Amino acid sequence: MDYEVEILIVEDNMSDAEMTIRALKKNNLTNKLLHLKDGAEALDFIFARENYSDRKIENIPKVILLDLKMPKVNGIQVLQELKSDERTKKIPVVILTSSKEDPDIQECYCLGANSYVVKPVQFEMFVKVVSELGLYWMILNQPPK
Amino acid sequence: MNTKPKILIVDDKPENLKALRKVLKDLDIELVEATSGNDALKATLCHDFVLALLDIQMPGMDGYELAGILREEEKTAHLPFIFISAVYTDNLNVFKGYENGAFSFITKPFQPEILINKVKFFIDKHQQEVALYELNEELKNANKELDAFTYSVSHDLRAPLRAVNGYAEMLNEDYGTHLDDEGKRLIENINYYAKKMGALIDDLLAFSRLGRKEIQVSEIDMNEMVEGVLIEMNKSITHNAKIKIGKLHQVNADYGLLHQVMFNLISNAIKYSSKKEHPIIEISSNEKNGKIVFSIKDNGAGFNMKYADKLFGVFQRLHSQEEFEGTGVGLAIVQRVISKHKGNVWAEGNINEGATFNFSLT
Repeated sequence: MDYEVEILIVEDNMSDAEMTIRALKKNNLTNKLLHLKDGAEALDFIFARENYSDRKIENIPKVILLDLKMPKVNGIQVLQELKSDERTKKIPVVILTSSKEDPDIQECYCLGANSYVVKPVQFEMFVKVVSELGLYWMILNQPPK
Repeated sequence: MNTKPKILIVDDKPENLKALRKVLKDLDIELVEATSGNDALKATLCHDFVLALLDIQMPGMDGYELAGILREEEKTAHLPFIFISAVYTDNLNVFKGYENGAFSFITKPFQPEILINKVKFFIDKHQQEVALYELNEELKNANKELDAFTYSVSHDLRAPLRAVNGYAEMLNEDYGTHLDDEGKRLIENINYYAKKMGALIDDLLAFSRLGRKEIQVSEIDMNEMVEGVLIEMNKSITHNAKIKIGKLHQVNADYGLLHQVMFNLISNAIKYSSKKEHPIIEISSNEKNGKIVFSIKDNGAGFNMKYADKLFGVFQRLHSQEEFEGTGVGLAIVQRVISKHKGNVWAEGNINEGATFNFSLT
């Protein structure tokens, strides 16, 4: 498996993941995309553990799109762990979630999230939001190092 | 709380304590004795009393002084007293007792029945208070649970809805060219109803959020607020209503919540008068019985007063979607906000003769 990943999507909801990938594909941003379905696997990938132990931890993705509400290890826990480790804290993390609740937003920023975006219910809006996000983080934004 | 109500009896003379005990022996209570003011204060630290019977003339701290200290302590500030005294029976002393916050004063020699009745009264009152407190706690918990439930339902409903909307749109994008007009109409309908459900969920979420929000009161210039509401509204709604605004009273209320109330009521007035040739909306306020009543009056579709009680219920509507669109949450929000401010909401109207929505604030 090629571990050169530029966009890491961590999302347990298959329909949201499909729509996100579709929107990115429209903008030709899916060459180096990886979709993982839960927080535990995401942490394994980020920290090069378990199934991903032959991966180099230094090869950080350009951006992580992280859902909050996931079974077992949720998005907040993933965020907390990767932002508290020197080797991974520089990875830009965009929280992409259904929750408009203020406490969630506050907590994510406090933990070091780089952006917080609420998934629109309307498909056209959803595609627009994900496209803009993809273009911004993959093309406009200058990644660390 | 199934323990017996505790009553503190304070008297420096053991024989008086014994006499009190004898008088009250048939009541289902626990008596705690103290022979001085200091003992009494100590006792209040380890017990929760329903009532204190205080002798007035005691060496060291007398009954009045004790009562004064008890009033100042948080734990005993609301503890009722009955002063019992054989010595000071003149009116002045009775008055001084009341000044200290006593509920009652009995002079010796007293009729046992009088004391028993007074004690019974306070026990009953205490038991009612406990029952009310417990009921209130239960109600608070039920409300909290309901809000948490509404919130998680609204939240979890969004994801599948996004999927319904998304897949219908993907179908349209990928296979739209293979569909005839009827096929396209069906997809449009899926999208329309998904959108509608999205609006319902948003409103429900806003409604449940209200339940969890504490109100923050500030002084509000209502004319200024209404102007702001209209500017905001004109951005999202096109209408040709003439809106007349009177000189409105200032009120003390939660700005954000009251803004929402005004927005909902004015946008309703615009919506339900939109089919008139000359829609007119009047916003006014009056002072009645110490309360300020705000009224939003329109000359629109109105309603049958027979259904007036249904106006403010969640998801209750008096018009079909075809007549006037809506989710039936707007007025429920109005009702909830105003009742959080301890005010009232009511409406008057007649079919095709317009409606007036009123709310009162203190």
